Amino acid sequence: MNTDPELDRSHKEPKDGMLSEGITSAKGNFAETLPISNDKFSEGGPDNKVLSQITVSGRQCISHEGMSPSSGNIPDKPTEIDHHLYEFGSVEYHIQASLSEPNNTYLSISTPLLSQGVLLSHGLPRHTTEMFEGIPPDVLEIVEPAREGYQLTLRLDLARIPRKKDSVKMITQISSVQAAILSFQLKEILRNISNEDLSLGMYKPLKLVYHPSETFFVVKQPTKFTAVFPMRFKENTDVSIATAFFQELMDVGSSTAFAKAPPCHWSPIPPPELRGELIEDLSTNGGFVSFEISSRHVEGKKLDKTVWGVLNFYSLVKYHVKNYKVLNSHMLTPKINVKQCTRGFIQRRIRKRLQNLVERSGYYKIIVPKEVQLGYRRMRKLISLSRSKLLKGRRSLTNKIKRIGSRIKIHAFNRFRRRWLTFPRFSSVTSYTY
Amino acid sequence: NFPCQEVERHNKPEVELKYVTSPELLLNPGCDIYVIVSCCPPMHFNFAHSSSQVLICRNEAEKCLIETSINSLRISLKVKQADELENILTKKFLRFLSMRAEAFEVLRRKPVQGYDISFLITNYHCEEMQKHKLIDFIVQFMEDIDKEISELKLSVNTRGRLVATEFLKQFV
Repeated sequence: MNTDPELDRSHKEPKDGMLSEGITSAKGNFAETLPISNDKFSEGGPDNKVLSQITVSGRQCISHEGMSPSSGNIPDKPTEIDHHLYEFGSVEYHIQASLSEPNNTYLSISTPLLSQGVLLSHGLPRHTTEMFEGIPPDVLEIVEPAREGYQLTLRLDLARIPRKKDSVKMITQISSVQAAILSFQLKEILRNISNEDLSLGMYKPLKLVYHPSETFFVVKQPTKFTAVFPMRFKENTDVSIATAFFQELMDVGSSTAFAKAPPCHWSPIPPPELRGELIEDLSTNGGFVSFEISSRHVEGKKLDKTVWGVLNFYSLVKYHVKNYKVLNSHMLTPKINVKQCTRGFIQRRIRKRLQNLVERSGYYKIIVPKEVQLGYRRMRKLISLSRSKLLKGRRSLTNKIKRIGSRIKIHAFNRFRRRWLTFPRFSSVTSYTY
Repeated sequence: NFPCQEVERHNKPEVELKYVTSPELLLNPGCDIYVIVSCCPPMHFNFAHSSSQVLICRNEAEKCLIETSINSLRISLKVKQADELENILTKKFLRFLSMRAEAFEVLRRKPVQGYDISFLITNYHCEEMQKHKLIDFIVQFMEDIDKEISELKLSVNTRGRLVATEFLKQFV
């Protein structure tokens, strides 16, 4: 992304799932933005693409592919950078680098909470140290308090990020900060449900929003939580494929091998836990999928996986039905090697089948058999035979006539003989066409 | 080879036109005859012979319509679809084939209404192709469709199972 530093672009309308950029002000020359290869990041998943495209100041380059400052792409003079990046229409990133601090880049994040009704009891900073375990403090530092309008501000020294394999892990961790914030919010919710709700004996469903238009509900019950996902699809084909997937999910979940996994249910109608919710939240065409999460699924390290699985269930279903990427994130599902979606698979298979059928249909065409080709020669033989016979017959008759012919001379008999007693000449055999 | 009686210098498959003024071209004119034949259990075939067509039904969901005329023949098939997924797979597969009908020559681009796929066989096809093998091809085609739809459905379910297994593994 090369930008004219003096160009003042207007803010672009952000689209769901798409990165959009608004350059509010810029001075000096920009270095090239070096996109980090993003094959491991899933669309809409925890590892978003935003922070993988970081524009840095002139002296420093971050490169996943091992570009070094000596590569020649770096301008000589330090620059100032001020970028606003938007994702999913509601998540905002603010990247700043100033001349006064050439080694530091500031990254501020603003993301809507999962649920507006639930605030983090101790604020974000308490959990951010857990988010960035393994990153040295000289690379990343949390700025307290966060910049105005943002929930978290990080100070990054990009030059200190190692260039070898560790860089991938570090960059992945940094770029998934938005997803990590939401995960911590859900963990808070699961840990500290409001006591008022319990005392009333009513377990009111909590509506959570991970992505716009993808809301789900969490219902607290005495011994478990129930996460309910209303499924909506744009096409009927997706509905059918997804319904088949949900049936398989229920079957696999009820098997003995997965007895420890949260029980999964699918129903075309809203479950009783969601009674009283708004109709617009309960109108679906793919039914409702619910997971019963018990205390053993949120103990210790399992809490992370459970929260991650719940937050990314929609992405998983979309991937299975439509998306076309390999899910190889260690945070989501370690080893799904299914590279292509169901719809793409169906299309490929049909195309292959078509080729087989076309090949087979070609075999039923007539290729003129050899007997017909020989027919011309045979006819030639027949004609030549009949001609010789005719000539023989003619000669014999003529001879007979001559023998029969007496000394009595009949007037005009010769003329009669020439006209009526001669055999017709046949046309040439070679001009006979079959 | 039968030039069109209605339009000068035209030569069209009469089964597609079905001119009211030329019913004799559709062959076998007559009253409706329904013949119920039970071939072997549990299959029961209903034959409906009406004017120029023969309708063979296994049940309401599976049937075959054969329409004849002096210079052409049309065979329409309705394939069994047990559930919504099979319905979608069948529609996709047969629409894919119909859109590439020129590769098969005897396939009709648009199926007859009420059916999933149609063949149109004209006198020219009979001249170019060996008739007995053409019949074999159509029979084999019908068998392949059923087999392919079943395999597609199985593979979709298998993929779903695989993804579900991988998803639930993280909780175990």
